[in-house]
Order: sequence, then C-alpha cells, then structure tokens
Amino acid sequence: MRRLGLLLLGAALLTFLLGPVVWQARTSLQPEASLGADGALPFTLEAWRALFEREDFLWSLFNSIAVAAVTTLYCLTVGASAAFALARLRFPGRGLLLATALAITTFPPIAIVSPLYLSLRGLGLLDTRMGLVLPYATFALPLTLWLLTSFFRQIPLALYQAARVDGCTPFQAFRRVILPLAGPGLTTTGLLVFVFAWNEFLFALSFLTTPAKRTVPVAISLFAAEHAEPWAEIAAASILATLPLVVLTLVFQRRIVSGLTAGAMKG
Amino acid sequence: MRRVGRGAWLGRERVQSVLLVAPAVATLVLVALFPIVAAIWLSLQRKILLFGEQSFVGWDNYLLLLSDTRFHAALGRTFYFALVSVALELLLGLPLALLLHRAFPGRGLLRALVLIPWAIPTVVSARMWAWLFHPELGLVNRLLPWLSVNWLGTPGWALHAAIVVDVWKSTPFVAILLLAGLQAIPEDVDRAARVDGAGAWTRLWRITLPLLRPAMVLAVLFRMLDALRVFDAVWVLTGGGPAHTTETMSIYAYKTLLRAGNFGYGTTLAIANFACVMLVAVVYLRLLGPGREVE
Amino acid sequence: MTGLRAGPGRICLAAVLLVWGCLACRDPEPAETSADRRTIVLSMQPLWGPPEPFAALLADFEARHPGIRVEVRTLPNDSDLARQAFLTALGGGDPRPDVYVLDVVWVAEFARAGFLRSLEGTPLWASLEPELLPGPAAAARWDGRPWAAPWYVDVGLLYRRTDLVPHAPSTFLELERDARRAMAQDPGLAGLVWQGRQYEGLTVNALESIWGHGGGGGSEGRLALNTPEAVAGVRWLRHTIASGLSPPGTTSGAEEEARRRFQAGRAVFMRNWPYAWAELQREGSPVRGRVGVSALPTLDGHPGPGALGGWMLGLNAHADPAHLDAALALLGHLSGEEAAVTLAVHYARLPARRAIYRSPEVLREAPFIASLLPQVERARPRPVTPYYGLLADTVQGSLSRAVTGVAPAQEALTEAQRLSDAMMGTGP
Repeated sequence: MRRLGLLLLGAALLTFLLGPVVWQARTSLQPEASLGADGALPFTLEAWRALFEREDFLWSLFNSIAVAAVTTLYCLTVGASAAFALARLRFPGRGLLLATALAITTFPPIAIVSPLYLSLRGLGLLDTRMGLVLPYATFALPLTLWLLTSFFRQIPLALYQAARVDGCTPFQAFRRVILPLAGPGLTTTGLLVFVFAWNEFLFALSFLTTPAKRTVPVAISLFAAEHAEPWAEIAAASILATLPLVVLTLVFQRRIVSGLTAGAMKG
Repeated sequence: MRRVGRGAWLGRERVQSVLLVAPAVATLVLVALFPIVAAIWLSLQRKILLFGEQSFVGWDNYLLLLSDTRFHAALGRTFYFALVSVALELLLGLPLALLLHRAFPGRGLLRALVLIPWAIPTVVSARMWAWLFHPELGLVNRLLPWLSVNWLGTPGWALHAAIVVDVWKSTPFVAILLLAGLQAIPEDVDRAARVDGAGAWTRLWRITLPLLRPAMVLAVLFRMLDALRVFDAVWVLTGGGPAHTTETMSIYAYKTLLRAGNFGYGTTLAIANFACVMLVAVVYLRLLGPGREVE
Repeated sequence: MTGLRAGPGRICLAAVLLVWGCLACRDPEPAETSADRRTIVLSMQPLWGPPEPFAALLADFEARHPGIRVEVRTLPNDSDLARQAFLTALGGGDPRPDVYVLDVVWVAEFARAGFLRSLEGTPLWASLEPELLPGPAAAARWDGRPWAAPWYVDVGLLYRRTDLVPHAPSTFLELERDARRAMAQDPGLAGLVWQGRQYEGLTVNALESIWGHGGGGGSEGRLALNTPEAVAGVRWLRHTIASGLSPPGTTSGAEEEARRRFQAGRAVFMRNWPYAWAELQREGSPVRGRVGVSALPTLDGHPGPGALGGWMLGLNAHADPAHLDAALALLGHLSGEEAAVTLAVHYARLPARRAIYRSPEVLREAPFIASLLPQVERARPRPVTPYYGLLADTVQGSLSRAVTGVAPAQEALTEAQRLSDAMMGTGP
C-alpha cells in the first residue's frame, strides 16, 4: 500500500517535471505556420531540419561545451583543494573565506557587468572564450567551495587521521584517501557548475561578440526576428541544448553511487 | 613507525593548507574585487546616462531607498516569492531524492532526465511556460478547465505562476543535492534500524532526515540566495507586469539600470538586493547554529 | 574500493577534456587593421530571411571601397537585450562598433549621452533627408540636428479577416460592431487582439488609441498623458478587455501571441506590425488569403496614425577617427536606395525612403510593402525626447494598471503624468 503511494507520488512528480519537456519536444515536431491552432497537428521535421542548417547554433554547442568543461574542471581542481583545507586542516580565516565567497557569488551580476567588461577589455580578454571562463569560474567557485567543504566534512575524520598516522602528508592523504571517496560530492558539484556555465546568459551576451564564438543561450536568443519567433525551432534547439547535459549526467551518474563510505568503514 | 613531531605536523599542515587555498582565493580576489568595488563606488554616485553627468552623492541613493515605495513593494514581493518557492522545492525535492535513491531499473536514466528542467536555458523554459499558461491555448487551463485563470495577465495570479515556473525549474537542483547527501549516509545505520523493527516513517524522520541535515541546509541556502535574486524566469514570463505585480527587486534594479539608464541608483538597488540576500544568509546560518556543515 | 580503480580513468578523461578545452579556448588574436585594409565593425541584428542578399550588399560595398572590410556583429533582436549590450559597450567608451543599429526611440537619448556622432553637414544626410518620409525624419532629429540614418521602419496596422469583415472599419464603433457580429456567429472567436502586456508594445498600442481619440502627446518633448483624449484612449483599451471584445490573455500577450491567435483563425481583428503579413500568408497558415490590412480606427473615421517603429543606423562617437570616412561610406551604402530595395524585397523591411515604395522592383516583388506607403506616411513617432528611456518604464506600469483594471484610466494616467513630470523635472 505504501509502495503504491510512493509510486503515485513519484509518478506525479515526474509528470510535473518531465511533462513540459515532452510538450516542448512535441512542439518542435509541429509545423511552424499552424502552431497555436486547435486540434492535432501533423508531425513534421521541418523545425529540426531548419535547426541543423544554422551553423552558428551548432558551433555554439561546441563553444558552450568547451567553456563549461574548462570552468568545471577549473572549479573542481581549485575548489577541491581549497575545500579539503577548509574541511580538515586548521586554516585561519576559514569562516571569513567562506562568507566572502558567498558574498561574491550573490553579488548581482547586472551591477558588475560594466566594470568586468572594462577589466576584460584591459586584459585583452574581451571576445575570447577564455575571458568568459574567468568570471564563470569566479562565480561558480563559492558554490563549489561550500558544497565540497560540506561533503569532505562528512567523510569520517578517522580515515584522514589514519592516513596521516601512516606517514602521509596532508596532501597525500587528500589525494589517496579523501578524493576517491568524494565521488558523489565531486560529481554533483561538477554537474551543477557545468549547468551554471552552460546556462549563463548576461556575461555571455556582453563579453562575446563574434557570432562564431557565442554560447548556446545567446545563440538561441538570436533565433528570433524583430517580432516573429520561430517557436518550433527554438523548442528543437532547447531539446538539443540539453542533450549534452543529459549525456554527461548519464556518463558520470555511476559516480553518484554510494557504498564507498560503507566499504571504507569496514575496511 | 615513524614518529612525526607534533610541531612539524602542525607546521606542515598550515603551509599545505595555505597552498591549497591560495588558487581559490587568488581567483576570487583577482577577478571579483575590482568589479565589486567599482559597483559599490557607482552606487554612491548620481550617474544618469542621459544627462551625461556623474557626481558623488554619498549615501543619498541609499537614503532614497528608504522612501522608495516601489522598492518596498518589490522587497515584499521578492521575499514572498522566495519563501513559497523554496518551501515547495524542498517539499517536492525530498521525495524525489528519496525516490531516486532507491535502486530500480532505469534509475540512472531517470536521474539524468530529471535534471532537464534545471538544464534547459531559463529564457527558453520560461517562454515555454508562458505558452502553457496561456488562458485559452495553454495546457494548464486545458487540463484544469474548472479553474480557467488568466495566469499571467491577472495581477494576483501572475506571481504565483512565476512561482510554479521556479519550482519546476529548481526542484531538480534540490533533489540532486539531497541525493548526494543521501548517498553519503552509511547503509548500516538504516539497516540496523530496520533490524530493530523501526517502521519506514520512523526511519525517515529519526534517522535519514537528521543525517541529511547538512545537505538540506545547503540546498535551502543556495535556493534562497537564488530565489531572492530571481530574474530571468519572471522577466520572460511577465516582464515585471501586469501592473508591476511581479516586479522583484532584481527586475526593478534592471529596469532602473538599463531601461532608464540610471546607473547610480540602479546599482544601489542591485546592492540593496544583495544586502537582503546576505542578511538572510547570515540569519539563516546563525539560526541553524554553528553547524557541522561548515564553520 | 571502487574509487581507486576508477581513479586513473577519471584523471585521463579530465586531462583530455582540459586539453581540448584549452585548445578550444585559445582564440587567435583578432586580425588588427593592417596597413592597407581597414575593418569597420557593424553591429546589427539578424535579418530574418536568406543570408545571401545582405551578404551580397556588403560585398558590393567592399568592392566599391577597396581597402575597407566590414565585420558584422550580431545582437539579439530583443530591444532590451540589444540595449543592454550597447550600454555596456558604449558606456565603457568602446571604439567598436563603428556603426550600429538603434531603435527609433533611442536616438535622442543616445545623442544626449554622447554615444552618437551627429550627421549634420555630411553629404550623406544632405542627400538622404529629402528622400525620407516625415516620421523617420522626425525621429532621427533631436535638438535640431540629425543623429542617425533611418534604416527601416515599422508601422502599426489593423489586420482583419476579409471573409468575416469585407470592409475595413474606420471608427471604433464600427470595429466593435463588426467584431461582435462575427463573434455572435462563432463564439470561439476573439474580437480584437492586441498587445497588452506590460512592455513597450503596450505603450505603442495605447498611443495609437490615444491618437485615434484625438490626443496629442506625439512629437513634442513633454508627454501629455493627462488629457481627456488620452483618458478616452486608454478607456477604450480597458473596454475591449472588460467587455470581452478582446480575450483576457491580451494583458499578458505580445506581438506573437496576437499573431498566432489571429493566424489560427481565432480572431476577427488584430493590431500588429507589418511582419505578420508574411507569416499569415505563408504556406500552411489557416488564414492564408483571407486577410486584409487597413489603417487603425479613429473617433471620427479618418484613417488613424500607426505608431512608428523601426531601426536606424548611427555612428559611434567614440570610434577611431581614422575610420570615420569608411563608416560614413558604409552608412551611406546601407541607407541607400539599393539597400532599401534589397531589404524590402528579401527581408520584408519597410523602407524609410518614399521613392522606394514606387520602385518597379518593389512593386513587383513586394507588393504588400508598396501598398503600405499611405500608412507609413501617416506613421507618428513616439515622443522624441532623451527622457524616453527614463519614462518608458513608468508609463508602461501605469498603462498596465489601467488596462488590467487595477485602477481607472483617469487615475492611472494622472499618476503617470505626475511621475513623468517628476522625473523630467529632476534634470540638471
């Protein structure tokens, strides 16, 4: 009985979350000219065909993947090291660092887009994808720090201490003992950072101006004409834009599997 | 076994800890420091694009906030939006995380699919919801014919429509954080409780949730911070209308900054929004006590 | 421990991604202007249609001006997004772009802010001005000087279903009567669809209604919102919603919502821009061949003025002075006759030059555009004031309050007047 209740709840949740996505997919398969009319419309691939003719959009997928991947790797590398120190080592000013990081990530982007523009221009990084990674990493780092610090703290202290007693330096203990157990934390944080970098719009619009370098959200915003919007094409683009993320999650989802901590305790 | 002197142990720890933290600190300081200081400086100025003037006015802009009724309205609205959204996201995200935690065939695929609302660019998903909320052609009113509300065009309902969109988008974020938290709970504890005869609800309430506390605290914290600064979804849905009833603080700041070209006061509004967010974060973390989560 | 086993694999993957990422991110330095080729940067929005004709236009320019290369940067068509990008770049004193598009309502504001270089005294303006229609010409001028070259324009039109309403209504009463007659026979129809969401489109619709009721507030500096005509105009808009003539969704709808509803055959009248025509007549459109266009209605029946929309081309005041000649040449080329014909025929953009409407090519290939000459001649610009951006937001809010019924029209407009006076009064 309880299982049925859970099943129903699960089904309701999934319908709520995925229903609109299915609707979006359906929209992408309908003829542009008759969208909005009543009744069932014939299925057609014209929106998808038109989408694949947009070279700029296809390039934007590549750009987004590159920018998001580099941002994520940077954040995970830099963030994990720092989070480890914050979680396990005696670090003076730990609270201050985390609080400042939080303040930075919550500072309204709209207020700093102009000064950032000037800085990037001064550094010659305007209209470069690398120049976009810097603000992205800066804004994603606090989330990384907070999440990873929390995850590292949950790994039992005993393990770390055992490694240290065995003669490891803190960093070696980190690399050999803590890191492998941090799979769920790293993967989750990595995914969230990736999605942040993927969907960010304001900086991408302001700092990248060459059409071939644009990222996905900006590329999609360029679909619309002055008034008209090719809604079926935009729906198709949004489905395509989420595919890399779905694939990424599938590839790494085994890393979100538990049982590692339990095994470590026994061993 | 090598005996390491205690002093050397601590000293090496400190050096290594500073080295480990240095890249993060460097990134944050080098990239964010100048823009933030520049923004704060700008908020103390009277700079209106159109007049081409720029003059230092000190705290005047902030004093203006105190008498700005439009700001007060936006403030109240934003808090209402954030509280309701985050509460709903937690209420929906927890069962979802519990569901995804159980082993069943296709769990991996489902976990990936569930992330989609969070992954779709907001500007697109909000537009999609705008169509779903259409009074006649939209799916929502077609599925609930007795309700038949003009969702985005009625002053009272529009904010709630925006809440629905935010909840739809962000529940996966909460779920995935909670899921990671669930994965960190050792199985033995739960197994032991089951052996002891504890029912499912008791297990959930007494064992799982307390152990999940760190993840929940983080999820709620980050969601609150984001919900208080919500912009894209509401902007695309209603543009702050109808009749300003969905104008959140960030939308008011955006309009002042970019539509009106009032850079000085617009930045002040943005910083006021930021101050609210930080205040909430501080109060929230204090209320929860110096937790084991972080400092 | 599974973690260790997977470690090397993960590291490899990470390394591969990192390398690829860095390779992808390393961009070649943008080709700086070499000694014998100057690059002019043009910032514009994508024109919906085949890319070849416009590319040919630019190629033609480059052929006529050897030594100059045009680099095109695209911006989203959304006016707010484009504005945002421009304010960031131009506000930072960026010398790029050299030539950029601007919305008709930005001209005075950008001129005052020092983002534009005046076209006064240039041969370009001297040859362009006599050709221009009165609306665009007025919108391009501020403080007695020309600041931008009109590129293409837009005008508000009344669309109707010719199978339901054979003759175009000329007064508001006629419109309502015709609509209700059709609605009586088909209850699913909406009488009139327009743009009532709280955004600039609402201001446009409201102004057209106000002008139709005899109100001014047109091209003078001050917005006259509190007049009896203005109240009547806004009351009409509220009436369409309150009486069911317009569907409730109007208060959250923009151009596309109205267009799709009309295109699905579920509306009798629609107020929209000329772009809708091409969509309505497209293959597969349910109303293809059953649409007519006319001027907006007025109180006394004379054809009502539509609001003037569109975009202009301006020179960046901070641009490199060495590029000025080239930029002016590009401006001249893009606002010239050839360009106007290309835009009209291939991209359905209304020209700002009167003569184009009668050119044989346009008459042949784009007859709809040619037929719009009377409407464009009548088109009225929104108040040309540098304060427009400052005021727009306030006005939209008050209009939304009136249109959704939160406040009566008189009260909302009085408030709008008070707020806009306060704002404009706080000038230096």
